[in-house]
Amino acid sequence: MAEQKVELFARRLDRGVQQAVHSNSAAGTEKRYSILGKDYSAPDDLRRLAGQIRQHSIEHLDTYLEQAEQSLKRQGAHVHYAVTADDACRAVSDILQKAGAKKVVKSKSMISEEIHLNDHLGSMDIESVETDLGEYIIQIDGDHPSHIVKPIIHKNRRDIAKSFEREGLGDYNDDPETITRRARVFMRDKYLQADAGITGANFVSAESGRLVLVTNEGNSRFCLAAPKIHIALVGIEKVIPSDAELTVLLNLLGRSATGQQLTVYTEFINGPARTDRPSGPQEMHVIFVDNQRSQILASDCREILRCIRCGACLNVCPVYRQASGHAYRSVYPGPVGAVLSPLLAGKNFKELADLPKASSLCGACNEVCPVDIPIPDLLLKLRNRGHEEHAPSPGTPPMGAFAKLASSPMLWRFTMKSNKVMNLVPLEKLPLPYLQPWLKTRTLPEWRGGEFRSWMKDRRKK
Amino acid sequence: MSTAREQIFSSVRAALAPLPERTARPIFSKDVAEPHWLATEADSVTLFQKRAEATGTKCFTDLESCAAWLRSQGVRTVYIPAPLTRLAALCAEFCEVTSEYTRTRVNEIDAAFTPSAGAIAESGSIILSDESTPDRLAALAPWHHIALVSRAEIHRTIADALAAMPNDPNLIWVTGPSKTADVEGILIQGVHGPGAQACLIL
Repeated sequence: MAEQKVELFARRLDRGVQQAVHSNSAAGTEKRYSILGKDYSAPDDLRRLAGQIRQHSIEHLDTYLEQAEQSLKRQGAHVHYAVTADDACRAVSDILQKAGAKKVVKSKSMISEEIHLNDHLGSMDIESVETDLGEYIIQIDGDHPSHIVKPIIHKNRRDIAKSFEREGLGDYNDDPETITRRARVFMRDKYLQADAGITGANFVSAESGRLVLVTNEGNSRFCLAAPKIHIALVGIEKVIPSDAELTVLLNLLGRSATGQQLTVYTEFINGPARTDRPSGPQEMHVIFVDNQRSQILASDCREILRCIRCGACLNVCPVYRQASGHAYRSVYPGPVGAVLSPLLAGKNFKELADLPKASSLCGACNEVCPVDIPIPDLLLKLRNRGHEEHAPSPGTPPMGAFAKLASSPMLWRFTMKSNKVMNLVPLEKLPLPYLQPWLKTRTLPEWRGGEFRSWMKDRRKK
Repeated sequence: MSTAREQIFSSVRAALAPLPERTARPIFSKDVAEPHWLATEADSVTLFQKRAEATGTKCFTDLESCAAWLRSQGVRTVYIPAPLTRLAALCAEFCEVTSEYTRTRVNEIDAAFTPSAGAIAESGSIILSDESTPDRLAALAPWHHIALVSRAEIHRTIADALAAMPNDPNLIWVTGPSKTADVEGILIQGVHGPGAQACLIL
């Protein structure tokens, strides 16, 4: 096979889906650019500062994680740790079973996708309902999110209307407002009947122990209003030094993700609700999940742990826009996913080692990143690792011959001159499968190899 | 066998030990992330109103116009906590007024007033806390939510509000009505929370 997997997926992708992903991503990039430009004279300085804050945080994770644990406990939260995805799933179901909880409402959390929590809870006979509109549609369709912030970017209103009809949420109606109202009514009962609410966390402040959650729909707020138990699944890298750093991080997160100064709901959770309160969970559990993060911290790609999951790099990426999220075959798509997913795969690294190659290294992802992650550098490091570990590399031409050529001055000189014969060869007839996809839409300029060398030589003589 | 906690901490320490040096904690001024237009803006109350309206939060400064708005919205049942008697009298002219928020009536009560813990001028956000809000559901489930904001409690900037966060189990900044753009990127208000967010500045 002469094509990269991501490229192949993009080529076979439905045109409508491709256009939806492209236009929605481009709109996201536009909104981000417009609000940052309107509000800040030097947004790049702010991104670099945020990058330093996050880099500092992960490089002091030993200190801050311990401090966060103490702060959380001081406020009455139970703190748990999970080394693997399975451990994390079990930690959740253990808490639920101990409390006799059978019904759970969930707000959007990437780490719960990462550990496949819903499948696990389903197997334990616990009903778990995704409450974010997009995530709910993903759940009833048995689908996977194709964007970190806009999970159903690949679906249109007709797809959704069909799914709602199938699930008994009313007759076919593809009006987005009607769809949203039906979800509102359906979710109401789910919230009120739920025994527990499961959330993620955008940040955890080590000093105050505050867990910060941002949403636009208000679903996380509902998960923390009606049920009596709150379980927060938190990647260990989410810890930041104190509340003061939130000034920088919150201001960049909303603007980068959705072009908003702040998301509609920014929630600061500081322990369980008081027992005399009519609403709010009176039992709070925080599960810190490692799932390969400490290994990533040990690697030369630790900068990826700065990520605050805004999705700006997806929106801007020319490959993501063409290929869509599912092309990345993992929970995290786009440029961040091309780095994070192979790393999170642990010993299955090789299976996703092609992802870092699905990039033109144009650098746009780094330019929009609110925490200034050098994604192109990390992609190169992972390409190198893939090579060293002999990962399969479909669609990438072998470079061994070129390396030999380029490291011998004599051979190089000879090739430069003699390859003038290329001008006479019909390129499309060359039996090189790697070149064919390129040559379908491109031609090569006339071969002028060796001319520079001759020019230099003549110049010296004068 | 070591616990999960020990395992994680030992791998984190092992990961960090070989670093020749660690990135220092950056020092920055409190106003580092303030938009540049903030400096030339008017007093905080006016700014709050402007920013709140821009995010879709309606602002009222007197009881009468707020009650008139609820009336025009066709509100049938409004929750007003006990001490707000004048407001309750105004609303009683056109709808049922209740001072009790119960779970059995969550879907009937279509408007609710709740006191807030202040506001943020820079972003037009309302701050709710467990201390100030009698019931988290009351400020969330009704289609219309009106937060009572005291002029004296309006923080100028996001940084000010962060620095002044009270010790409360649950603080929430509400910046506009509940919204989604999940379906084809089309903006719809009132997904789970209020479709009409308002505040009454007193």
